[in-house]
Amino acid sequence: MNNNIAFQSVKSLRSMLQRGEITPVELVDTFAERIERHNPQSKAFITTTIDIAREQASQLSRGDLTGSSFAGIPYASKDLFDVQGVRTSAGSRVFHDRIAKKDAFAIAKLRAAQALSLGKTNLHEFAYGATGENEVYGTAVNAYDPTRLAGGSSSGSAAAVAFGLVPAALGTDTGGSVRAPAALNGLVGFKPTLGRIPTSGVVPYCWTLDHVGLMTRTIADCADLLSIVSGYDPSDPASVNRPVENYPEALDQDVSGLRVGIPSNFYYERADDEILEALERVKEYLVANGAKLVPVTFPDMGHSRTVSLTVQMPEALSAHSAYLQERGCLYSADFRAGLALGQCILAEHYVKAKRFIEIYRQQTNRLFDQVDLILTPATPEIAQKVGTVKVTRNGVNEAIGNAITRFTTFFNMTGHPALTMPCAMHTQGLPIALQLVGRYFDEMTVLRAAHAIERSDQFSIPLPKVDA
Amino acid sequence: MQKLTKATLTGICAQMASHSWSEEEINELVDPQLGIITGFQDLLNELEQLRKIDLGTTPPAMSVQGADRHE
Repeated sequence: MNNNIAFQSVKSLRSMLQRGEITPVELVDTFAERIERHNPQSKAFITTTIDIAREQASQLSRGDLTGSSFAGIPYASKDLFDVQGVRTSAGSRVFHDRIAKKDAFAIAKLRAAQALSLGKTNLHEFAYGATGENEVYGTAVNAYDPTRLAGGSSSGSAAAVAFGLVPAALGTDTGGSVRAPAALNGLVGFKPTLGRIPTSGVVPYCWTLDHVGLMTRTIADCADLLSIVSGYDPSDPASVNRPVENYPEALDQDVSGLRVGIPSNFYYERADDEILEALERVKEYLVANGAKLVPVTFPDMGHSRTVSLTVQMPEALSAHSAYLQERGCLYSADFRAGLALGQCILAEHYVKAKRFIEIYRQQTNRLFDQVDLILTPATPEIAQKVGTVKVTRNGVNEAIGNAITRFTTFFNMTGHPALTMPCAMHTQGLPIALQLVGRYFDEMTVLRAAHAIERSDQFSIPLPKVDA
Repeated sequence: MQKLTKATLTGICAQMASHSWSEEEINELVDPQLGIITGFQDLLNELEQLRKIDLGTTPPAMSVQGADRHE
């Protein structure tokens, strides 16, 4: 039964619970056994809370299990989310003794939905980095090939779902930290519109670019999870007070009539040929099913990474200022170097970068006058070996962290909803993924198109052989 | 713009309000070895290019509340 359950969707597990084929306690115990077996290799979890989850599960009645789409369902959260009474380590020695006094917004919503938190997942220290390498808690690895990176910074959340240790997880995404690891591990990764899910109770990396994101096996699970954790929190200045839509309703429609933007610059350049070929097949599918492809030109992306970095590092420095004074020696060397860089950026540089972001937002919004969605590859490369420092493509050397997030970072600056999902397997046995981007607060159209693509057998990929 | 030197950064950190950075950390900014996102000199060069681009009266980005606006 163990392996049959491990890779089921939330929807399928919910049906089993509601039919009485398994109890919430048995579900917790099944995943707990898998965590014990696979965590030494996957390094997915920093902290587990199995006993608490089992106790909560034991109190759920059959009636409770119909109360929400995640009632009795185990999940995990990146160790930046506060869970009351549990340590939030942020993947760092600096927070080795930080016990959360209350739940983060998203955690409180899941608690109210009677979902069961199995623990806190690994990450790049304080979310600073896209490889997920962590000198304190180890490096979470890829479920399809454990010699390769899971990607980050939400590395443990991706590994936890991909290794079949939980059916869904929360992460954070400041430059692609949910979408990229989801893509590298054959999962759905979704960063909704900036402000759709409050970041209250999440340890900040960069306040104005941080998004809460979701990782699931299926689009339907993603829609259900989004419905639960979305909302408004006045204590989060980025939070937007508008109604939460019934996202699962989006899944009833196909792609017929949708205008899908295909970037003529940046996104289809300097990428693995097999990734580009896979995207061609997605385009063909869209056209064959009634969508219209429309070429779009993005603003000049040449400076976009610099703009993002110029906002990230001063904000990270400000967020960490007090801890640097008190516990500076506990930070890892690479993050301290990044914070030192933040110290040297001038205020004028920061403001100029924020003005560039406003330009990016206006220009990207104008693209959506012509199209309903934009389709890009999720990443230009498949998962790379642990320890890789640079990637060379078409004669260009690029730091691996930059390569992993090259196609995702821009939409953290603009704030548009962006989803990654698998669409093919590479001949090296690793997942290839696409990215769909929508208008502000039009998560429905993103989910609609993603679900239609998912339903086509030609884009399904095999599960990783983690139990072989 | 002159090339950044370690002495310049050391002076800035010593003479302006700053956290305490070690010699190794200042070295890392001048000559990166850890594989951090980018070297400071490269960043400064890029920022100098950005500084020369006139953005008119465009304000800094804020919330996406009411973001349906296009202009």
